[in-house]
Amino acid sequence: MRVRLLFVCVLFLSAAILWPLTLDIRAFDHGTHTRIVLEGDRSFAFRISSSETKIEVKIPVVGDFRQGQIQLQNLPLVDRISHEVVSGESLLAIFFKAPIEIQRNFVMENPYRVVFDVARLATPAPENTAQTPSPPGSGPVQEQKNEPAPLKPIDTICLDPGHGGEDLGAVGKTKILEKNITLAISNRLKRLIESRLGLRVITTRDRDVEVSLNTRASIANNQQAQMFISIHVNSSFRRQARGSETYFVSLKATDPEALELARKENEAAPETEATATDDDLKLILWNLAQTEYIRESSRLAEYIQNELNELLDTRNRGVKQAPFRVLMRTAMPAVLIEVAFLSNESDQRRLRDDPFLDNAAQAIYNGVAKFIAYYNSLLQ
Amino acid sequence: MKRKWMWTLVGVAALFFVIALVIFLKSNQPGPSDELQIIQKMTAETGEVNELIRVKLFFYADGWTMVPRWREIVVPQNREDIYKKFVDLLLSGDSDRLAPVPPDTKVRATYFLRPQETLVVDFSESLLASFPGGTAAELEFIYFFVDNICYNFNEVKKVKFLVGGNEVRTLAGHLDLEKSFFPDYSYLRDE
Repeated sequence: MRVRLLFVCVLFLSAAILWPLTLDIRAFDHGTHTRIVLEGDRSFAFRISSSETKIEVKIPVVGDFRQGQIQLQNLPLVDRISHEVVSGESLLAIFFKAPIEIQRNFVMENPYRVVFDVARLATPAPENTAQTPSPPGSGPVQEQKNEPAPLKPIDTICLDPGHGGEDLGAVGKTKILEKNITLAISNRLKRLIESRLGLRVITTRDRDVEVSLNTRASIANNQQAQMFISIHVNSSFRRQARGSETYFVSLKATDPEALELARKENEAAPETEATATDDDLKLILWNLAQTEYIRESSRLAEYIQNELNELLDTRNRGVKQAPFRVLMRTAMPAVLIEVAFLSNESDQRRLRDDPFLDNAAQAIYNGVAKFIAYYNSLLQ
Repeated sequence: MKRKWMWTLVGVAALFFVIALVIFLKSNQPGPSDELQIIQKMTAETGEVNELIRVKLFFYADGWTMVPRWREIVVPQNREDIYKKFVDLLLSGDSDRLAPVPPDTKVRATYFLRPQETLVVDFSESLLASFPGGTAAELEFIYFFVDNICYNFNEVKKVKFLVGGNEVRTLAGHLDLEKSFFPDYSYLRDE
């Protein structure tokens, strides 16, 4: 009996091993660095070796490489990408036009991804290179380059109070305005984070002014925020709808071809999208920068929604996904919170109360603090 | 010896089962339920015979889900006009269920882009002025049209929204309307 069981197990195991590993290669130019992502349809072992102008990844299984629509002309640093399968082992080689250094190399789960951030190697002063020999026994220079730099602990958070200026957002029956409520909660939340966590908090607006969605995302990207929290108040055609909900970006709801293209090319937004305010900023903006952060965004959304349920005592509408324009273009964990419904009478009454707004800010703060603790624990 | 072969067969069958399961899970996308059926009906007054199609429209009931109502549409001479008629029918609403559309919203035109399998629905400009705002309202509006259209027309795989003949970034500051939308049938419920 045991032999038979073993036989079936071996059969399954060999099928799993022989089943080709699908490997999707993506590359994006982020200005300061190029991000290369190797995504598998399951986890895989890999070995990296690199030289100044090449990174090689060896995977000890047969891989079915999908290079998709990488457009090398959009990648100033990448010269070419090649892949082959030799004796049951898959080899991926990325060749660069100039000497590079691997700034970061890390793995992300669900889906399994191996990520490299590479940047052009800063050219050392000629006299140094000419006159300073490598100290004996210091080991090959390349080994130092391959050492992954640690992820940075969260030190900057971007708060995004929805709407503003002529964009009123939702309007309640009693003429209470979404734009004012979101700003009030954002100001409270900013104070909490700064005073209790000592982190840098930037906001996309701190007064009643209209800010385009592109500008909001680019403010967060430019300031290298590591978390983006968009605060909104909901409204529905269904008057009975009430409660709080937290969203992160959904990819399935939009055009997969466009998503794939944007995700792979990570092209900059066309200039026509810039507004007068955008002109003042050096836009760092990608159509689908959020793609790489969905798992973290989902966890952030869960932490915040749990706290909202606990503190606000409103109906729990849960964590949801939708293709939000402002979230899609942020390159960091990002969520959009709908605190309550202005279209619902009881929710509207509560939104007029300062203690309710205090509680909303406190709940979001609690969720943020929990996410930071989780995120920072990954760094240890 | 016989038993050994039997176990081998069981193993191979199990392997095929796993492969089939993987393929099934990878391709398990919800889709329209039926092909549209053309019915011929005679109008009593004129004796004219019309071709009709029976469509299943979904309107919002309590909560997040939409429930079905059956309607009939006279097939227009130009087959492409059926989409506009269908959207007009959605806009006309239902007596006891909710159509999440601001009052006075009109559809200007519909275009079916066959190579992209995309139906473009162009609404009147009044839509933006009268839209109430809120993420929930945007989701209700968008999936009301996308789910109904894709459910009833097999050839339409996604829907693109225009307002006043132009692309708009969002309806009320939330969902990205520059993209086309695929249906999300989790909003639909059969009664």
